[in-house]
Amino acid sequence: MRQLVTVTVDAAHAGALDAVARRLGDVGFDVDQVLAALGVITGTVDEARLALLEGVEGVAGVEPQRGFQLAPPDSDVQ
Amino acid sequence: MTTGRSVVVLSDGVRGDREAIAQALRSLAGVTSVLHMADMGSQERDPGTAASPEAIVFQTLGVAVLECDPAQLSAMHRAADDPGAAILAVEPERVMRAIETEPGERAAPIADDEAFTWGLRATAVDAATATGRGVRIAVLDTGLDLAHPDFAGRSITSQSFVVGEPVHDGHGHGTHTTGTACGSADPPVGRRYGVAAEAEIFAGKVLNDAGFGTDASVLAGIDWAITSACQVISMSLGADIREVSTVYETVGRRALAAGTLIVAAGGNNASRSIGNLGFVGVPANSPSIMAVAAVDANLRVADFSAASNPVAGGQVDIAAPGGDVYSSWPMPQRYNTISGTSMATPHVAGLAALWAQTSGLQAQELWDALIGSAQRLDLPATDVGVGLARAPAPD
Repeated sequence: MRQLVTVTVDAAHAGALDAVARRLGDVGFDVDQVLAALGVITGTVDEARLALLEGVEGVAGVEPQRGFQLAPPDSDVQ
Repeated sequence: MTTGRSVVVLSDGVRGDREAIAQALRSLAGVTSVLHMADMGSQERDPGTAASPEAIVFQTLGVAVLECDPAQLSAMHRAADDPGAAILAVEPERVMRAIETEPGERAAPIADDEAFTWGLRATAVDAATATGRGVRIAVLDTGLDLAHPDFAGRSITSQSFVVGEPVHDGHGHGTHTTGTACGSADPPVGRRYGVAAEAEIFAGKVLNDAGFGTDASVLAGIDWAITSACQVISMSLGADIREVSTVYETVGRRALAAGTLIVAAGGNNASRSIGNLGFVGVPANSPSIMAVAAVDANLRVADFSAASNPVAGGQVDIAAPGGDVYSSWPMPQRYNTISGTSMATPHVAGLAALWAQTSGLQAQELWDALIGSAQRLDLPATDVGVGLARAPAPD
């Protein structure tokens, strides 16, 4: 089962995002976006390998991605 | 109103020393008859009924009240100017009155009129001279109807972060929120509804035409806005999750560090009429992201507007018009009137742009300017934060 994940990179590795992304790739993370201004990397990983991400050097946090859903266009409250 | 008597503030050098005080009053004001309040029993401590002395001394306070003629008064003023003197200041004695509590007047509801929406009236945009010129606002939403005639001639930068969908707004929500934040000062049809009418618009499509998006597209939009040097990001989106997200809290802090203020909808998960106050969700519950509540045209909290969430940072920070808000809508409908904290949020984003323009402030200082200038409301802070966001006063 693949999981959409957001990885927050710690401040010390803000200038080395690509290296962190490579290390994430080494543990099975499939990188989607490297967001340099935020120090955030998004991507997908097998659920079974999710726990490995926390241990990667430069990773401050790992969260499953959320969805945001607006009300339909014809609702009074949006 | 004053009594004709003078209040003398004595220096710390003589305060508490009755002989030194008496000496100072004698030499400076020629006062010989002194009533020392410290000598009075508690039953007698009514200066109004005491035999009229020339001066009443409050020894512990280091204050005396006395009657003196103009020559003595000017002698004391001269003494007060001398840093070594026993007198620090002389002021006329004032008459004080009890502060009366007046029954609060119920203001009439504000209404849309020919010239302005009620929201622009309530937030003082109708009187403001600031326009947001030179300020970049990113609206991260369902996109924008780029062919909408009300946006003709505007500086618009746009990008879609939704795979397979162009920036064009196939929902309506994004065109509505962008209209409120940045709509024209003089739309070709109808009343004005936009706050920062000369701001540069950065329309980021992070929600698809069905109104759905994920963290990946929202974060990509924030990254784009920061990289584009937007001072303000308006996000009328949220998920009903109580716990603060490390991602959004970190991103909010990094945005502030980069000069960008993120404003987000508190959420519509309340049903106050049946006792459900709701809660502020992700991402507005991040301490570093400003959470916006919605008020109606009576300046009461809207039925759907989420209350503060007890987690750290989960509070409502500020409120803005979010009930029956008229703004732009994709053509051919052109306009729509809808409600939500989604509609309150772009009011605050537009107001932030006005403050950024007039003050030059950004990030945390811009946040502080919005909070400091908000109109306090007679409502719980857990519902409306500091109150109603307001535009800077006209030049």
